[in-house]
Amino acid sequence: MTWATGLLGSHAVQNVAIGAMMLGACAGALGCFALLRRQSLLGDAVSHAALPGICLGFLVAGGRELPALLAGALLAGGLGALSVQLILRRTRLKTDAALGIVLSVFFAVGVVLLTHIQGRGGAAQAGLSSFLFGQAAAILRGDLVVIGGLSVAALAVVALLWKEFKLLSFDPDFARAQGLPVARLEVLLTLVIAVAIVVGLQLVGVVLMVALLVAPAAAARQWARGLGSMVLLAALFGATSGLAGALASAGMRGLSTGPVVVLFATAIVAVSLLLAPRRGLLWDALRRASARRRLAGTDVLVTLHGVGQAHDDPAYPVEGGMVDAAHGLASARTLARLRSEGMVRAVTRPPETRAHWELTPLGRARAEAALRGNSGEETA
Amino acid sequence: MMQPSTPDHPLHEPQFALHVEDLTVSYRADPVLWDIDIDIPPGVLAAIVGPNGAGKSPLIKAALGLLPPVAGHVRFFGRRYRDMRRRIGYVPQRQSVDWDFPATALDVVTMGLYGRLGWFRRPGRAERDAALAALSRVGMQDYAIRQIADLSGGQQQRVFIARALVQEADIYFLDEPMAGVDAVTEAAIVALLEDLRDQGRTVVVVHHDLTTVRRYFDWLVIINRRVVAQGPVADVYTAANLRRAYGGQIALIEAGEIVP
Repeated sequence: MTWATGLLGSHAVQNVAIGAMMLGACAGALGCFALLRRQSLLGDAVSHAALPGICLGFLVAGGRELPALLAGALLAGGLGALSVQLILRRTRLKTDAALGIVLSVFFAVGVVLLTHIQGRGGAAQAGLSSFLFGQAAAILRGDLVVIGGLSVAALAVVALLWKEFKLLSFDPDFARAQGLPVARLEVLLTLVIAVAIVVGLQLVGVVLMVALLVAPAAAARQWARGLGSMVLLAALFGATSGLAGALASAGMRGLSTGPVVVLFATAIVAVSLLLAPRRGLLWDALRRASARRRLAGTDVLVTLHGVGQAHDDPAYPVEGGMVDAAHGLASARTLARLRSEGMVRAVTRPPETRAHWELTPLGRARAEAALRGNSGEETA
Repeated sequence: MMQPSTPDHPLHEPQFALHVEDLTVSYRADPVLWDIDIDIPPGVLAAIVGPNGAGKSPLIKAALGLLPPVAGHVRFFGRRYRDMRRRIGYVPQRQSVDWDFPATALDVVTMGLYGRLGWFRRPGRAERDAALAALSRVGMQDYAIRQIADLSGGQQQRVFIARALVQEADIYFLDEPMAGVDAVTEAAIVALLEDLRDQGRTVVVVHHDLTTVRRYFDWLVIINRRVVAQGPVADVYTAANLRRAYGGQIALIEAGEIVP
């Protein structure tokens, strides 16, 4: 803790931490819309397509001027997104092919420009290659104003058009039937997502940006019950990843921030996929195990019921060994569980010395329900 | 609320709830609907039937402006769609959306009021009450705060219908509302549609099950890219008309003894 506060005392680390949190929150929040509209990979295409724009911005401005770089990135990224749409509409190529083509063509142009700039040498190009994998340490105090302003603007658009974007993401046809200008709203939403991507490039770079967009949203989807809570949670996850990555890379030499941020974000995803109530894998496993246990219990009850029928005595006591013979040796555990549920009871009738099992009225009811073809489970 | 007709757009065939004239719609180069003329009077429960690929869904989508027509026009009580939006309710196919979207049944029903709310305004208490009332009408009041992902197919369909009910429309369009729901839900949906019709509203349903057409509906439009026949069910539901629309598949229909 003192280690962390000590780090935060440094101005440079403050810049990085604040910047990383803002970028993470913005990307996380807007990533929800990309995820829900199945446009996660469009985010990947936009971030790769931004690279040539960054290089052109650098060439035009003659140096690492953040506003120029971001403007170039936004233009090129937007052009990339537009190209994907155009290919989809005009040709018979499917989405994956269109994304693959646009992503690699733009990225290739970007790398060519980047190596050209680096070939010219000089100190000026220092901040540029950081856009490949991100370099939060390069974030300056002045950059924070630009990053913060763009993030706030993007989030403000989403807040203002909340219900429109919500309907657009859930059911675009219905939105259009209600008179919403769906095409224009789609362009606006894509643009806002592109802004989040472009500002996030500083932190994680073009290659890993899609993770910062998608991972917090995917994790948040596991826990949230509404779009509002999903967006807030995703923003929180994104900010946490950003902060954790910034601190980790500031505390340890040789750790670059971007990949660490992405690793934190994916760790949150892993935990969420595993543990989230109702949707998590662990939850599924528990539910399956409980269903299996219940089925085993019902089987035993049906057996006891059948033996009772054969003896014209619904409460006919059955020896444990007989249940084992029908259901395997694990039946002792099943019987114990059924007993605690009040489905069976153990009785010892002299001269027998060992306990026998008989159905309670409750157990008989469940066995008969099962025999009628009704599992006895309430349907969801 | 409703815009008066201007001299530029005089009422055209206002005696029909739905008037479709010369409508042609195509995907890429292939026309899916060819020269469609349909008139549906107010206050009927109408079915649109036809074989797979006959263009039933595109017909509804074109009528609601979701598909651009190549030619032709559509009027509702004589007015264009854009002037009648608030008086038209729409229930898309259930499979047209991803039900894993993070929302409750109440959220989805409230979406039916977004168009009326206008820009930037958030739904409030009145919208919530209206949405809850619509959920009660489809028997889903106990599921208001349930996640839509946790609902069964029939329950999701009822939520979709509640979203259209909340629009308090005069004309309703439903795209295959009875597809993939159980018999109980189907009966509940039919009762609800009859209720709407009895209130004087017009209900147009894309339907796939020929065996129930005569029981559920009082108006019938048979299409197969073109209009095959239209009119009161009793006049239109004939073996000859069905054979013209369904062609070779008619043997199946006759074997099912559903043709008088």
